[in-house]
Amino acid sequence: MGKKNEKTLNEPVSTLDLKSMIHENALFFDKLIELIPARFYLSNEKDKPWFQGLSKAEKASAKKQSRENIKKARRDRLDPEKSTKTTLDLLKENLEKEKVIKESDEEEIEVKPIMSDLGNGEEPSVTYEELRQRLRRKIEELRGGRNTGGSDKGKKKIEKKGNVQKKRKRDSGEEEKKVTSSTDRDNVEKDMEEAAKELTFSRVKLGDEEKHGKKKKRKLSKFKELENATKLQEAKKDPEKGEVIAKKHSWKAAMDRAAGIKVHDDPKLLKQSIQKEKKRHQKNVEKWNERVETTEKLKTEKQQKRSDNIAEKIHQKKMRRIAKREKKLLRPGFEGRKDGFINEGST
Amino acid sequence: MARFRNRKKKVFVKPIVKKKQEQQQQPNVDPITGNKIPKSFVFSRGKLPGPLRQLQMDLRKLMLPYTALKLKEKKRNNLKDFLNVAGPMGVTHFLILSKTETSPFLRVAKTPQGPTLTFKIHEYSLAVDIAQSQLRPRCPQDLFKNSPLIVLSGFATGDEHLKLTTTLFKNIFPDIDINTVKLSSCQRIVLLNYNKDTKLIDFRHYSIRLQPVGVSRRIRKFVQNHQVPDLRNLQDVSDFVTKSGYGSESEADEEAATVTLTSDLSRVNRASTKSAVKLQEIGPRMTLQLIKVEGGLCSGEVMFSEYGNGGYKKKPDGQEDSEKDNEMEGSDDDNEEEDSDEDIEENEEDDEED
Repeated sequence: MGKKNEKTLNEPVSTLDLKSMIHENALFFDKLIELIPARFYLSNEKDKPWFQGLSKAEKASAKKQSRENIKKARRDRLDPEKSTKTTLDLLKENLEKEKVIKESDEEEIEVKPIMSDLGNGEEPSVTYEELRQRLRRKIEELRGGRNTGGSDKGKKKIEKKGNVQKKRKRDSGEEEKKVTSSTDRDNVEKDMEEAAKELTFSRVKLGDEEKHGKKKKRKLSKFKELENATKLQEAKKDPEKGEVIAKKHSWKAAMDRAAGIKVHDDPKLLKQSIQKEKKRHQKNVEKWNERVETTEKLKTEKQQKRSDNIAEKIHQKKMRRIAKREKKLLRPGFEGRKDGFINEGST
Repeated sequence: MARFRNRKKKVFVKPIVKKKQEQQQQPNVDPITGNKIPKSFVFSRGKLPGPLRQLQMDLRKLMLPYTALKLKEKKRNNLKDFLNVAGPMGVTHFLILSKTETSPFLRVAKTPQGPTLTFKIHEYSLAVDIAQSQLRPRCPQDLFKNSPLIVLSGFATGDEHLKLTTTLFKNIFPDIDINTVKLSSCQRIVLLNYNKDTKLIDFRHYSIRLQPVGVSRRIRKFVQNHQVPDLRNLQDVSDFVTKSGYGSESEADEEAATVTLTSDLSRVNRASTKSAVKLQEIGPRMTLQLIKVEGGLCSGEVMFSEYGNGGYKKKPDGQEDSEKDNEMEGSDDDNEEEDSDEDIEENEEDDEED
């Protein structure tokens, strides 16, 4: 009995010990983690900025982004109000984030089958109610927004035309109250929204456009463009649809040209440029042939000259030898060389 | 033979761009965005009266820096001469002023074979007049060193000719790359406002100024002007700093026009602080009406015409005959494409007017 008691007594004690042991170990590990700076312990979501493979615009945007990030990080670091986040806190945050992602995934999956049931509308689940409420809220917001927008325009019309209708009067009255009650900021934002619908700005080049425009249109060869242009001309002459096509094409061409895109639609000009290209090509071919010829000629000339020089040298050598031989016979008191026998010719 | 002919033409053509010693050659391609920078010629056809010549000069200043400021043109220069010079120089747009008995006209055209928009100038004011009407006209030195921004309002209704106008004007000025643009280089803005009822386009030209918000007026002026304030009547410096004077009228509606700067603009306008954007008008003011859209450069088929059948008067200049010949040649080819007789009639009348 006692042993059993002991046993039963021992078990809670051992579990308590186990728990406290685990807790102590956990604390020890936490302290260790805190010693390691977050940079090294946690994996970087934003990897190191990689500048090498990007184009100039992308590089510029990436650099700007990194500069902003550095500034923001510096501010946060030196901000006394924001407490310094230890590695432990960041780790916990990451884990929470993962949890939330998992949960939201589950929620989405939940919502989808419920949405499909909406047609029946007979099963009032909690999420359905939520959706309904959200819808109501949105409608109210839009309604509220629409009122001030409409009455703004209404007010202007009153000023301009002096046309006073009952509804507009009521709306403007409401709007005046709203102006006094609502803050300036909201009004300004609404004005901005209205105005933004009408405004167009100068061409702004974003860094993202590059990714879309990677698939550039290949430049067609002039011959193919000529074909297209002649086809277009014939299509224009077509009695039924010719006018429509002609108009559409002229507007499209004008818009493209205004935007800076080159439009080749005149077959005459295209023929001219093809001719020019041919002539240029001809000229180049001639030039090349001439060049080859001249090099050949020069080569042969040089070779000829060389062989001539060598032959000349040999000849000169021979002549020198003869001269030397002759010199020996030109000493003073020499009777002369043998001219032949005195009695030459007589036997 | 071709070389000889070119030499001959160069004697006549005098549109010269005087190259300053500092900037030898303007870049044709924007180094960062990689697009071609649009350049323009502003000139006139026919003799213009004094104020219109000043307007031409104002327009040239507006288009700086990518335009020929001291472009010289002679009487005998045709449009073709300008075209020939424009090609090698990389000029993409022509702004042509002309005057008839009714009113002055402004034609905006895109060079190689581009569309031409003809505007009738109903009213205009010169930059000098505007500066005289202001209490404190402002023209800092670097104002014309960078090209202006452009804002078009009211063009979004969707008519073809309006869309074309939008595209054309957007492309007259070079693109803005958000990542690399410096805030200090955006100093001017051109505003075009289309009025649907009267079909008139208002043309305005402003200079942009940034003023920090949230600083009391006295401190701001002190920091900007470096002028030691007059502290005679004050007991203590704190009086100077904390005294809140009445704000000016324009400071009241600053809420709408405040922006948060992303970079330091000057000592006073620092990054991530709010600044107010103030526009002050410089430059010419015009009221334009789009009359005609042509498919070619002052030639080609008329795609849109305000009046339907030409109702304009002829130009009294006889100098235009040579140009007329050139254009008749050019437009003959396009005439073949047209189907309706009306268009051909209009074309002939247009050529006479041109």
